[in-house]
Amino acid sequence: MSAGENGGKTAEWLLELDGVSVGFPMRRRGMSVVTRGVSFRVGRGEALGIVGESGSGKSVSMLASLGLLGNGGRVVEGSIRFRPEEGRILELSSMTEKELCAVRGDEISMIFQEPMTSLNPVMTIGAQVEEMLVLHDDGPKETRRERVLAMLGEAGLSGTEDLYGKYPHELSGGMRQRVMIAMAMLLRPRLLIADEPTTALDVTIQAKILALLKKFQEEYGTAIILISHDLGVIRSVCSRAVVMCEGRVVEQGRVEELFEHPQEEYTKRLLAAALGKGSVLRREGVTGGKNTAAVRNYSVFYEERGKKLFAAREKRAVVKGVSFEVHEGEIVGIVGESGCGKSTLAKAMAGLNPLTSGELELACSRPQMVFQDPYGSLNPSKTIGWLLTEPLRLGRIGTREERRGRACEMLRRVGLEDSYYDRYPNTLSGGQRQRVAIAMALMLRQKLILLDEPVSALDVTVQEQILILLVGLQKEFGLSYLFISHDMNVIHRLCDRVLVMYQGEIVESGRTEEVFENPQHEYTRKLLEARL
Amino acid sequence: MRYYVKKIVSLIMVLFLIMLLTFLAFQVIPGDGAVSRLGVDAEPEEIEALREALGLNKSLPERFFRFLGGAVRGDFGMSYQYSRPVSELLAARLPATVGLAAVSILMICIISVPLGLLCARREGGFADRAVTLLTQTLMAVPAFFLGMIITFLFGVVLKWFSPGGYIPPGESFGKYLHYMIFPAAAISIPKIAMTVKFLKTSVLRERKLDYVRTARSKGNTERAVLWRHVLRNALIPVITFMGMVIADVLAGSIVIEQVFNLPGVGRLLVVAIGNRDYPVVEAIVVYIAAIVLTVNFIVDILYQRVDPRVRIK
Repeated sequence: MSAGENGGKTAEWLLELDGVSVGFPMRRRGMSVVTRGVSFRVGRGEALGIVGESGSGKSVSMLASLGLLGNGGRVVEGSIRFRPEEGRILELSSMTEKELCAVRGDEISMIFQEPMTSLNPVMTIGAQVEEMLVLHDDGPKETRRERVLAMLGEAGLSGTEDLYGKYPHELSGGMRQRVMIAMAMLLRPRLLIADEPTTALDVTIQAKILALLKKFQEEYGTAIILISHDLGVIRSVCSRAVVMCEGRVVEQGRVEELFEHPQEEYTKRLLAAALGKGSVLRREGVTGGKNTAAVRNYSVFYEERGKKLFAAREKRAVVKGVSFEVHEGEIVGIVGESGCGKSTLAKAMAGLNPLTSGELELACSRPQMVFQDPYGSLNPSKTIGWLLTEPLRLGRIGTREERRGRACEMLRRVGLEDSYYDRYPNTLSGGQRQRVAIAMALMLRQKLILLDEPVSALDVTVQEQILILLVGLQKEFGLSYLFISHDMNVIHRLCDRVLVMYQGEIVESGRTEEVFENPQHEYTRKLLEARL
Repeated sequence: MRYYVKKIVSLIMVLFLIMLLTFLAFQVIPGDGAVSRLGVDAEPEEIEALREALGLNKSLPERFFRFLGGAVRGDFGMSYQYSRPVSELLAARLPATVGLAAVSILMICIISVPLGLLCARREGGFADRAVTLLTQTLMAVPAFFLGMIITFLFGVVLKWFSPGGYIPPGESFGKYLHYMIFPAAAISIPKIAMTVKFLKTSVLRERKLDYVRTARSKGNTERAVLWRHVLRNALIPVITFMGMVIADVLAGSIVIEQVFNLPGVGRLLVVAIGNRDYPVVEAIVVYIAAIVLTVNFIVDILYQRVDPRVRIK
């Protein structure tokens, strides 16, 4: 298949990847090739989506276009061409570093997934945005500040004079991403590459950021390549999409066609998993029965440094007097944006924060927790077996052999073989690690498990497997889950009841169907609308 | 501003505590100032008279506040051994010690930053491997041994300076500096080796972070990324480390002063301890503590300047 054969009107192409394979040097010698023969085109002013799971090569292909691969990575085969104007074609894949520097930021700019870490922490916002003008020597010095301020305003930021002298840590994630966009758009590039620009943001902010990208595309005729694992995001911005899997282009075409009549098996699976069309996993009519946990007028505090000189530490309420129950065999969801106190609540219930007030009744002694990031939550220097048996060792339960037996048994229950007992976390994939984390939570045979965004860091197809596993285990062991998520689709599929948290309070609660069909609180409505 | 007030108040409190501990420590040590000064064969009346004169027969709190009051004015009493004011002795020895420290610190700063950056830029290349090998070796060599090698090589063989010589800065500042360079090299080379390694690790760690990728995507060249974006971030942990090194150097390099026969505070201390000349020892302990605390204070302020995230409003 030649480049852009399915590409609609790509006669006016802007960027072309033609049979591109990217490789990274291996430790001894030779290259490990991570993408093979990737070909597609993006037209002038077009919005193109690249979909795929982590490791599919979608980011790598775009980083290769700008020569930003790092770690010695390079294009080993094929070519990447850029056509800024009629009759001027730049062969990006064979340009020198110096030539590429002139293109980066000026003709093609890029924004990244993590707005929290993508800005330099020790430079002011103004200096970072203005650097674009300094680097590409655009316009007289006196007007620079004005142009930066105007651009920040265009990106939907207010109080720009103030913002100019601020540092990144003083801004929220959404604001930082707007700064990144302002920076990327300052020189009106012909192409903007957005690599998972909204993945790290709250759902309500996600839609606004995407609208901003769309606005710039329409206003300035900037072509956008939007990389995402989220098909909803792609659909809301792009007219055409490329589906990638394991370093290859699987399918490409117009978004509507691709979504309605996917040709390839992989696209179909991705769609089924991503669009919340997956079956409802919860059982009907479980609600009721004995309480596994009951919380009444429960508040959780954090200590803060006092404002006065040598003042005592002050307590600040993060969770403000919430009351709810979790019944036996029930899955209760908590939704809310970051900072609303949902994780803090779960941690306090697990006994990880002693600064609480109010009542907490539990049917088990030590509710266990599963955390979001399976890469950070397992100690990398210990074997899986050591980690699994740790709670038993601490409780002086069983002999060495018995502990090992229980750990292996639990590994099998979560779908891993006994051989994983002696392996280290870094040899496992994200999904496997989360299976281990779940096994760890089940080792003490507690009835209540607190799951804090357990699938948010995982690819959609892996998400699906983990959700199915969780429901299976719940039935098998008669567990109750308190399931925290920002993903309304996941909540809808899994939870019997749902609590909506906003600024430390529960603003709405009820059976999942009822809340989704007839939301009472304004914030709940906003959350549901933000679903793409 | 409030932050600085808080820091200064706690600095003074810590210094007070150190003085109290120093004072008490010398009360616990057996041996009487008057006896050690007059010798054990002296007449009891003579000793009593001297005790009276030195204020040794006063109560403990009274003596402490006298010591404290004197220390604030820079008066640490009379040296038992030399019968001269301690402050005068210290003042005579400070130019050698402070000058040595200053030259060493300058050498550390000037040499280690470019070298560390060079290693990080050419990681795994020839320059990096050569410097790494050299730093690994020099880190393991004790300063006094380096001092001996330098004395032999530059003093005895090349005759660039005469070993054991020292010219006070008042006499000829140029010659004073000339004589300081060699002992300063002995002190700074192992520290440079450590700083280079530390900075290199820090730069390499920073270079993997997301904001560096952003900087590249804006069109910065590799050199601009390093100098404009990475260096300031990479220096943050290095500042803490350098603070420790600087305090260490300023507090006196007793061994090096011995090897190069420099009339510094370190040598004064060694002699004073040997002779139970407690006023001198007390004064030097307070001097070292004050230096370490002040350097820490400066490091904290620098930290605020470099890293806005720890800046307190």
